[in-house]
Amino acid sequence: MGQLNTEDRSTPDTTWMDGFRRNDQIALRSIYKAHFPAVRQYVLQNSGTVSDAQDVFQEAIVVLWVNVKQGRFSPGTESGPGGFLFRVAKNKWLDVVRSAAHKHMKVVHNDQALDRGNDAPDDIEERIARLRGVYEKLDDRCRAILDQYYFERKDLATIASGMGVEEDSIRTIKYRCMMKLRAFRTAISGEESEAS
Amino acid sequence: MKEGTLDRPTFEAIEAYVLDRMPADERAAFEQRMTEDATLREEVELERENIQAVELGGLSRMLKGIAQQDREDERAAPRWTDFLKYAALIAGLTTAAIWWMNRTPLNEELYTEYFTPDPGLPVKMGTTGHATFADAMVAYKLGDYAEARAKWQPLLSLEPGNDTLRYYLASAWLAENNTAQAIPILEELSQEPTSTFTARAQWFLFLAYVRSGEEAKARTLPLDNDPTYGARVKAIKSELVR
Repeated sequence: MGQLNTEDRSTPDTTWMDGFRRNDQIALRSIYKAHFPAVRQYVLQNSGTVSDAQDVFQEAIVVLWVNVKQGRFSPGTESGPGGFLFRVAKNKWLDVVRSAAHKHMKVVHNDQALDRGNDAPDDIEERIARLRGVYEKLDDRCRAILDQYYFERKDLATIASGMGVEEDSIRTIKYRCMMKLRAFRTAISGEESEAS
Repeated sequence: MKEGTLDRPTFEAIEAYVLDRMPADERAAFEQRMTEDATLREEVELERENIQAVELGGLSRMLKGIAQQDREDERAAPRWTDFLKYAALIAGLTTAAIWWMNRTPLNEELYTEYFTPDPGLPVKMGTTGHATFADAMVAYKLGDYAEARAKWQPLLSLEPGNDTLRYYLASAWLAENNTAQAIPILEELSQEPTSTFTARAQWFLFLAYVRSGEEAKARTLPLDNDPTYGARVKAIKSELVR
């Protein structure tokens, strides 16, 4: 597959959204390569480093990814995700700059500081934090198998072959790992019910 | 949501539904069951979120990998600015070779110990050519000093008196270890008491003089009582006396 055309202004291109839904790594890499330079330029012009730019851009991609997965991203008049990613990354960097630890920093291009829009609403940020908390509960063995199955979308036979075990063993481990997550979530849910 | 473990066939049915791997007829029947069964709806949402948590973990890992690869590619890829850097380096080395003979290792040690390139400006200039200036500043902060100079030099032709441009041009030369090119610019700036760069220019000129073995000139710079640089200047001078 070649590079995705993410900014074709003649025809609305939502191919990248299908890629996001399927966790297509080529699509994700293509979006990263196409839109990171603008964010890097902005952060560097505003007291940041390349590493800072990478951090806020990765957060912006995660916000975009969750929006797409939730069916809440609408391309609208934009022909690609570039504008969305830039706004989210920029607002995240402005938050960093305004934080107590960075009060000495100066901001050059503050023209869109008021243009916060609704690209990363609180419920999306809360969902991301919750999902990260859930993932933290998995041990390395579970992560290795579940990552391949759910994120990389490999089939059980391929995972089993790569790990040198029977396909049925992988299927059983996957089920047990997911039940661990479910038990964790039901316990949390029970505690919240008792507290309220 | 049910307490205890969800049975495997139900778990796998929900999984097939969430991952869109269910045949159309089964999917329709499953959705019909969901409309009538609130517990099943809750289980579907829970499993959808758990799967998404795993996917997000994979996504985060992949993004870190791309960023890491980016950094490695950037280090490995030859750029036209590299060739400029090499050309500047050769020119600088030829000029510096003359000074090198007169320089003691102590001078070099002191210079290396105290010299840190100016971190660059986060602000744009309020004068003409600020977009190019900002681009050059980004190149400077990325360590592409030759590219930064190549962009600043034409702006300086338009505004030869601009102290910001002169100061950062000298800073780029210094960052490239070319004190010979930096010294004349810094000497001019050091004589301009109204510039905001005067003290900084004097400090870098002091270091450049120390490095090039011109200690007598270094001692004439009025930095001993400077609140920012005074202590360091005195420390270097005392080292040179030993």
